[in-house]
Amino acid sequence: MDKSLHLDSVIKTHQITKEEQLLNKHKDKNKEVKEALEQKYESNIYSPFNSGSYAKNTAINTKFDFDMVCPFKRNAFGSNGTLKQMYEDVFDFLYEKYKDDANVRKQKVSIGIEFFADEDGDIVKIDVVPGRELNQDQYKDDENLNLYVYYKYGNFDQGSERIKTNVQAQIKNIKDRATKEKDSIRKVIRLLKVWKNTKYNSPAKSFFLELITIKAFDNKDVSGNLWSKLETVLQYIRDEVTGESFTLKDPGNGSNDLIDTLTTTERQTLSDDMKNMLERIEDNDENIKTYFPENSKFLEEEESDNKYENKGNGFYSNPPKNERFG
Amino acid sequence: MIDKRLNTIQQFFSELNGISIETSFSSDLEFNIVGKIKVPVESTDDCLFFDVKIYPEYPLKRMDTESITFSNSDYLEYGHVMGDGSICRHTSHQTDLKKKIEIDINSLKRWIWKYYLNKDNDKHYEHLILQPKEFKGNHFSFLFTEVDHIFSNQQFGFFEYSKINNGLYHEKIIFNNVIQEFRDSSSKKVTECKWSSAIKQLSNKDLGIYVFLDNPPAKMGKFIISNWEDLEGLVNQNLHNFLYSVQKTNLKLNGKPIPFLIGYRISDKEIHWQVAILEIGKFPIESYKEDKVWKGGFIDEDIVWGITKNCSYDYFFGRGRLTENITKSKILIIGIGAIGSMVAKTLTRCGCTSIDVVDYDIKEPENVCRSEYSFLSGICNKVDDLSNELFLISPFVEVGIINPILFHVDSKIAQGLNSTNTELQKKLLHYDIIIDCSTDNDLLYILSKLELNRLITLSITNNAKDLVCSVEPKSYNWVMNQYENVLENEMENLHNPTGCWSPTFKASYSDINTLVQFAIKHINIKLSDSNKNLRNFVLKTNESDVFSIKLDEF
Repeated sequence: MDKSLHLDSVIKTHQITKEEQLLNKHKDKNKEVKEALEQKYESNIYSPFNSGSYAKNTAINTKFDFDMVCPFKRNAFGSNGTLKQMYEDVFDFLYEKYKDDANVRKQKVSIGIEFFADEDGDIVKIDVVPGRELNQDQYKDDENLNLYVYYKYGNFDQGSERIKTNVQAQIKNIKDRATKEKDSIRKVIRLLKVWKNTKYNSPAKSFFLELITIKAFDNKDVSGNLWSKLETVLQYIRDEVTGESFTLKDPGNGSNDLIDTLTTTERQTLSDDMKNMLERIEDNDENIKTYFPENSKFLEEEESDNKYENKGNGFYSNPPKNERFG
Repeated sequence: MIDKRLNTIQQFFSELNGISIETSFSSDLEFNIVGKIKVPVESTDDCLFFDVKIYPEYPLKRMDTESITFSNSDYLEYGHVMGDGSICRHTSHQTDLKKKIEIDINSLKRWIWKYYLNKDNDKHYEHLILQPKEFKGNHFSFLFTEVDHIFSNQQFGFFEYSKINNGLYHEKIIFNNVIQEFRDSSSKKVTECKWSSAIKQLSNKDLGIYVFLDNPPAKMGKFIISNWEDLEGLVNQNLHNFLYSVQKTNLKLNGKPIPFLIGYRISDKEIHWQVAILEIGKFPIESYKEDKVWKGGFIDEDIVWGITKNCSYDYFFGRGRLTENITKSKILIIGIGAIGSMVAKTLTRCGCTSIDVVDYDIKEPENVCRSEYSFLSGICNKVDDLSNELFLISPFVEVGIINPILFHVDSKIAQGLNSTNTELQKKLLHYDIIIDCSTDNDLLYILSKLELNRLITLSITNNAKDLVCSVEPKSYNWVMNQYENVLENEMENLHNPTGCWSPTFKASYSDINTLVQFAIKHINIKLSDSNKNLRNFVLKTNESDVFSIKLDEF
């Protein structure tokens, strides 16, 4: 089999635009939440913007949500206002507004709004990340924000008042690349997200996989067809992620090292997963199909070639090849 | 021939450094060679004397015991000395007579240094030494577990026991029994042993009597008392009154044996029971008048000690079990054919106590050759047959038989009905681990869509060439891909039984179980360490050169 052709199909069937209806529902809700926040906080808030995979063009359609950053002014909650007050205030507002339509939850640095399934069974999820500029009116110049950590996130303790980040810089980290490279990076990131969704207990978060993919592109000759590029990135993760001196800097804040979000054993697990994956695909190309499955929902039906092939068809009176025994 | 051996042994002993022969070696009527030696105690002026007995097997072992003994009953008070005064030693295998004598003398010197000179006490508890005796030509055993009750000194009463299978104990019949519960002298329940409900429900029950003592009925701290009079100082008059009344009210049963348990503490947390077998009508007691008061006492008679065994969970599975992450789990096994029955038996032997099974299939005689079923139970439901097999193995396993509608009504017919799927999920969330050995692709498809605590599937290809084990959620596609695209599942060469419409795979018990045990070992290693992640895997066999199994982790 042609592994790159398969991977192209994985990308194609996972395109977010395939889920047009769901995407539009997210856009609509996103707009509604954004306007509600702007109306509530008026001159105390800068314009909320999308920050997640949709904004970075790395989203996949099997698992997606919208992330919305709400940049608040330094004195939005009084000159002595705390980040906790900011976080709680936004939570209270969203909870009151949506408690009858959605589950509103406190998450690590965000507030999750998961709307109840509509008549089509669609579920819209929006994560609101409240952040505050470092000094009054400084955001316009540096786009830096402080976030509130609701519960322990990697090395950041629960209740920590300061996790500085620059979401725009995170977005630009991919967007500012040369078009061709940008396209490849996005494809590999989407593939890694597809893989992550197949895995039980995969320790690496999407943002981690994004950064390590970019780092692989920066440090390795990632070239050739799509499989070859993916293979290089997988090898890079396998070989580097357990290294003692390996770092993964947050482009939004150079002092945040994302490698700290994984424990030593989780790093080993990630490396082992890459090793196993590479070995199994090397053993047999067909294994790529379950590491990187197509989204069957959008798989174009192939013409049945009506061959007398004994896969799942049943052949004469013999059981089919997918008959398991035990 | 014997003379030559005698002379050789005499010669070798005389050449040993420091050892002197006190009584020359000679041959007894059973062709053993006997003599007496003197061994100096290192760094002292002392010497110890030992009778030496060398059996004809020497330097080979007699069964699993040494075929040379060094004994002196003056040393009974020291550690590792048996009741006949022989020193308990374990030495290495050696077929050369001279070297073996040197090894044995060295081990004797080590005993002198460790237990005679330094008076070492071993940290682990050694039970009282006793030789079980026959009662009217039969042996008796009583098996017990720990209980949730603290017995007090001189506490006595009745205990209930159930008879289990009789057997042969060397040349004699042995009557085996499990102790069920302890009652006070008015037959009110005090506590019960911690057996499975199947053991608790055993019929064929009978009563015995017990007394609990603060101090073990021992001589020199390690030998059990041998005469009833030796018990006198340890018990009070209430026990005598009780024994007297028990015998009096059971006169009709004269001549029958009745077990008498004597319990004592062996550590802060643990008690032990020994059993003496009494004969109704001939209790070893007497009554006498002292200061105008009738009193009871024991008479001068040898005690007939039976056999007891603490079978508490930690002892029963003490020699080896799986990780607690498995043994303490509630487990459901779906499909109990060859693989499922092997998994069930292995889990039971390895300490699991909560195993439910579900299957709609009937066991036929031709299933026996490659599964854990037995011929003698004939044609019957697999679930009933397997649960009986599991009860026979472990006195701690609870086996639940689940309604086989799980295979169709609860799962396949309910497919698409969201609420019913949630119902199925709710039912299955009762289990920590579900092991699907059904090889039912449709069922796997349904189960893969549910959020379960842990779903493991096991199946093999024809000829047991490969074993496919999924352990990660939503693995339906992975399993199907292995069978359809990755592995060779050779379907042309199946077993077609005469008169049977459905061909089946070819593989022997050994072929299948080799892979099943390999898979269980791998799963156990992964689950015993929280830092390890269990991933889907395939076991691939190769017979081209020597047989090998390769584990491919995904």
